[in-house]
Amino acid sequence: MAAVQGSIVDAKDEADIKTEPATDGFGNNHANDAGVLSASPGSSAAAGNNKPAAGAPEDQQTLLAVLQFLRKNKLSESAEILRREAGLPEEALDPKGADSAGSGLGSGADVDGGDASALLSRVTVSAPGGAKAPTKAGEDQPDVNVVLSAYSQQGDPALYEVYYSGLKKFIESVLDCHRAELSQVFYPLFVHMYLELVYNNHEGEAKAFFEKFSGDQECYYEEDLRILSSLTKKEHMRGNETLLDFRTSKFVLRISRDSYQLLKRHLQERQNNQIWNIIQEHLYIDIFDGMPRSKSQIDAMSGSLAGEAKREANKAKVYYGLLKEPEIELPLDDEDEEAENEEGKPKKKKPKKDSTGSKSKKQDPNAPSQTRIPLPELKDSDKLDKIMYMKESTKRIRLGPDNLPSICFYTFLNAYQGLTAVDVTDDSSLIAGGFADSTVRVWSVTPKKLRKVKTAADLNLIDKESDDVLERIMDDKTASESKCLYGHSGPVYGISFSPDRNYLLSCSEDGTVRLWSLLTFTCLVGYKGHNYPVWDTQFSPYGYYFISGGHDRVARLWATDHHQPLRIFAGHLADVTCTRFHPNANYVATGSSDRTIRLWDVLTGNCVRIFTGHKGPIHALAFSPNGKFLASGATDGRVLLWDIGHGLMVGELKGHTECIYSLRFSRDGEILGSGSMDNTVRLWDATKAFDDLETDDFTAATGHIHLQDNSQELLLGTYMTKSTPVVHLHFTRRNLLLAAGAYNP
Amino acid sequence: AASAKMSAPKTIPKDAQVMIQILKDMGVTEYEPRVINQMLEFTYRYVTTIIEDAKIYASHAKKSAVDADDIKLAIQCRMDQSFTSPPPRDFLLEAARQKNQTPLPLIKPYTGPRLPPDRYCLTAPNYRLKSIQKKVSSSAGRISVPRLSVGAVSSRPTTPTLGTPSVQSVSSKVGTPVSLTGQRFTVQIPPPSQTATTKTTTAASPAVSNVLINPSLIGSKNILITTNMVAQNAGGDGLKRKLEDDDDYDTL
Repeated sequence: MAAVQGSIVDAKDEADIKTEPATDGFGNNHANDAGVLSASPGSSAAAGNNKPAAGAPEDQQTLLAVLQFLRKNKLSESAEILRREAGLPEEALDPKGADSAGSGLGSGADVDGGDASALLSRVTVSAPGGAKAPTKAGEDQPDVNVVLSAYSQQGDPALYEVYYSGLKKFIESVLDCHRAELSQVFYPLFVHMYLELVYNNHEGEAKAFFEKFSGDQECYYEEDLRILSSLTKKEHMRGNETLLDFRTSKFVLRISRDSYQLLKRHLQERQNNQIWNIIQEHLYIDIFDGMPRSKSQIDAMSGSLAGEAKREANKAKVYYGLLKEPEIELPLDDEDEEAENEEGKPKKKKPKKDSTGSKSKKQDPNAPSQTRIPLPELKDSDKLDKIMYMKESTKRIRLGPDNLPSICFYTFLNAYQGLTAVDVTDDSSLIAGGFADSTVRVWSVTPKKLRKVKTAADLNLIDKESDDVLERIMDDKTASESKCLYGHSGPVYGISFSPDRNYLLSCSEDGTVRLWSLLTFTCLVGYKGHNYPVWDTQFSPYGYYFISGGHDRVARLWATDHHQPLRIFAGHLADVTCTRFHPNANYVATGSSDRTIRLWDVLTGNCVRIFTGHKGPIHALAFSPNGKFLASGATDGRVLLWDIGHGLMVGELKGHTECIYSLRFSRDGEILGSGSMDNTVRLWDATKAFDDLETDDFTAATGHIHLQDNSQELLLGTYMTKSTPVVHLHFTRRNLLLAAGAYNP
Repeated sequence: AASAKMSAPKTIPKDAQVMIQILKDMGVTEYEPRVINQMLEFTYRYVTTIIEDAKIYASHAKKSAVDADDIKLAIQCRMDQSFTSPPPRDFLLEAARQKNQTPLPLIKPYTGPRLPPDRYCLTAPNYRLKSIQKKVSSSAGRISVPRLSVGAVSSRPTTPTLGTPSVQSVSSKVGTPVSLTGQRFTVQIPPPSQTATTKTTTAASPAVSNVLINPSLIGSKNILITTNMVAQNAGGDGLKRKLEDDDDYDTL
C-alpha cells in the first residue's frame, strides 16, 4: 500500500527490492503498513527475504535503518561494509511511502519526510504490544531519529486533525479511572502538533487545527492558548524564547503503568504513528506503579508549562534546618524580667543566655553545617542587633486562631498607581517604596528622622572615642522624614533592606540592581548582569549575598563585593518573577511565569526541587520560620503550601479572588498572612495546615497527594482595605502585622 | 461594537476601533482609555520605521519600488536591534554550569563595607576641578568669580590658560573619562592665591575646600554646588566677565 518514490528507486543500485505486502498479516509485527515499501509494482515478492517478518530482533531494525541512512547519503562503500559485517541480506530496502495509512501520500513534497517517518515507524514499532517495551526501541533509535527527523515534516498536515480526533475518541472510550490520566496527554500533544504545523509553514492547516481543538483543553491553559493563537507564522516563533524552550524541553507527565500500557498498545495498533512519534520526542512519561490518579489529584499538580516534576527531580537531600544562632550573652538589665530569670529569684543580676536560640547542643541532622557556604562574621553592631532582637522577641505575642494579630496598614497616597515595590526593615524602623517613575523613597516609621552622615570635613572634627560616636557622625541638618534616591532609569520592581540596615537594594526594568547606602543616601554600586528587566531582588538573611531574578529566565546570586554574579540559576522556561532566600541562606526559591517554583542550592547551583501546581505566574513566596515549608501565591488566587523535605504539596488555601502579591509567616510560624489585588489581607492558620504532616509517612513514590478541602477552616480572617491592593506584608518582632499598598480608587 | 461607540459624542476613528478589537482578542478587558492612544502611537511609529528602512534597502538595491523582501529585511534588522530577546536556554544552561563550578569565595573578615573595586562602584567623583591661573598684573581689579561650564568637555576649554603649555595639555586631558556616565561639569574656580599652579587637583587650592558636590548623582542633572568663594574683588560687573577672559587670552 505504500507508494513508491520513483526517484529513490532510480537512485539505488540494488535491483532486488523486497516487497512487503503491507497487509494485516504483518500488522502485528510491524504494526503499521506505513512501514514499508514496496518496489515498483510488479517486482517479485522475495518471500524468502521477509526478514523483519518473523519476530526479527530490534537490532536488525536499527541496523537496517542505519544502512538505509548511509545509502540515502550515497555512502555506498560504508553501506556495503556495514551490510557485509552485519550479515544483512543483499536486498536493500527502499523505504518509501507515506506515513499514514491508506493515504497514498506519495507526493514528492514529502520525500524526505516520508523517508524519515517510514524509517522511524519501522524502527519504533519493533515488537508486538507488550512483549517488549517500546521505550526500549525509543532508546535505540535516537541517533537515527535525531538525524532524520529534526522536527521536520512528519506526515500530511491535513491528517493531523484525523490523528488528534482519533486519539480523542480512544481516550474517551477507556475506563474512567484511566481517562483522567490519559487526558493529560491532550495539551502537550495539541501544542506540539500545532507548533509543528506552524514551523513547517502550514498556516491554514494550523489555524484549522487550532480552532477545532483548542476549546477542548483544560481551562487553566487558556493564557497559553491565547498566546499560541497569535502565533501563526514561523517568523513569529523566532523571538518567543518561552515557546522555543517549550519545544526543546520535554513535557513531563506522570502516568500509572496501567494507563500507560493502554495508551501504548492503542497507538501501536493503529496505523499512524505520528502521535507516537511526537510523544516519544517531546513528552517524558514518568511511569509509576500504583493506582491511577484521579482528576482532582492531577489538576492539583498540573498547570505548569513543563508538565509536572519528575520523581528524580525532587529526590535530592535538602538541608532545610536552620543554622545555629551564636551564643550571645545578654547584658545585665534591670528590667523586671523575673520570670525569665533562671534562678527564679527576682532581681538577681545574672547574665542571661540566649533563650531564643537552639537549646540543643547537637547538630540538627536536617540543618546545613555552619561553613557550608561562607557567611560574613558577626560584627559588634550585629551583636548589638541580635541582643535587641532577643529582647524584642521576649515581648512577642503568641498568635493563634483565638489570638489574631492586629494589622497596621501603611497606605501610600498620591502614588498615581506608580507604587511597584515595598520593603520594611526587620526591626520595622524603615519603610521603602519603589516607584514606576524610577525613584526609591525611604521613610522612617519611628519618630526618629532620617539623617545623612556628615561630610568628610566635619567628620574630622568629632570625637571618635566617645560612646555615641554613631550618633555624632550623623548630620542633623539633613534630617527629614523621607529621603528620595534617584538613579534608576526604569520602574523599580523590587527592593530589599539589608539585615544590618546599612544598605538598600533595588532592581528595575533597566536591567540593573543598585546598592544604596542608607548612611549617605547615595548609590554605591550598580550590578549589571541581567540585560533585561529584573523583577525581584532580596538580601540574604545574613547580609552580604543577594539574589535577583528577571526577564532573562535566570536568577543570579551576587555578593556585594563582586561586580559579577557568583551563581547563575538557569532552568526556568519563562521569566523569574519572585526570588527568596531560605532562612538558613543555603537555598534560594524562585517562582516563575512558567508556573513552577524551583528550589536551588547556593553551594552548587543545582535545582533541588521543582514544585508544580500553580495555574498562573507566581508572584509571592514565603518560607516558614522553621525552614521546613514554603508558601507560594500566584495570579490564580491560590496559596499553595509545600513540604520542602519531601518535595510535595501539602496544602491549598483558596479564598482570594485576584492575584496574590505578598505572603508572610508570623515570627513563630503560627499564622500565614496573604495580601492580594482584591484589596484584602487574609490570615490563615499555619499550625493547623502543617499539623498532621509532622509524621513522616508520605507516599512520595506515586506523588499521590490527598489535599483536604479545608480552606474555610484554615481561614482565620479576611480584612478589607479601601480600594488598596496589598503589596507587602511584614510581621514586626512582636508579631504586629504591617501591610502596605498604594491607594487606588 | 458599533452600538457601544454611539454613546461617545464623536465617532472613534477606525484605527482606534481596530485597536480596541485587537485588545479584546488578546484577552485584555480592563484598560485605561489612554492605552489605546499609546498602542496606536507605537504602531504608527513602528510601521513608519519599518517602511522607511525598507525604502532605504530598496534604493540600495537599486529597485524602483519597495517590495516584500525589503520589508522582510527591514523587520528582521529592526528585530535584532530593538526587540532583542533573552539568550536561548542552552546558552544559559552552559553559562550557568561554568559559573556554578567555581566555589564560593571566602569572605575576608574585618574589611569594612564590602564593595567591589572602585572602578565598578559609583562612588568616584564625576567631576574634576581645574584651576584658573591668572597673572597678578592682569587681574588686578578684575573679578574672579567661579564659572560653571556645562557640557562636553572635549570641546575647546574656555578657560583662559596662561602661557604654560603644560596646563594646556592638562586641560585637553579633561576629556578623558573620569568616571561613569552622566554629564561632566567643569568647575573652574580661580584660586585666591595668585601663583600659577599647574596642578588641577583640588588639594592645591584651599578655596575649593568648601565645594560640596554630590558625586553620586550620576545621570541626574542636578548637582548641588555650593562654592564658598571668597571673591578677591567683591564688587564688580558680572557683565564684563566674558570680556575679561578674552582679555586674558590677549595677554597670553
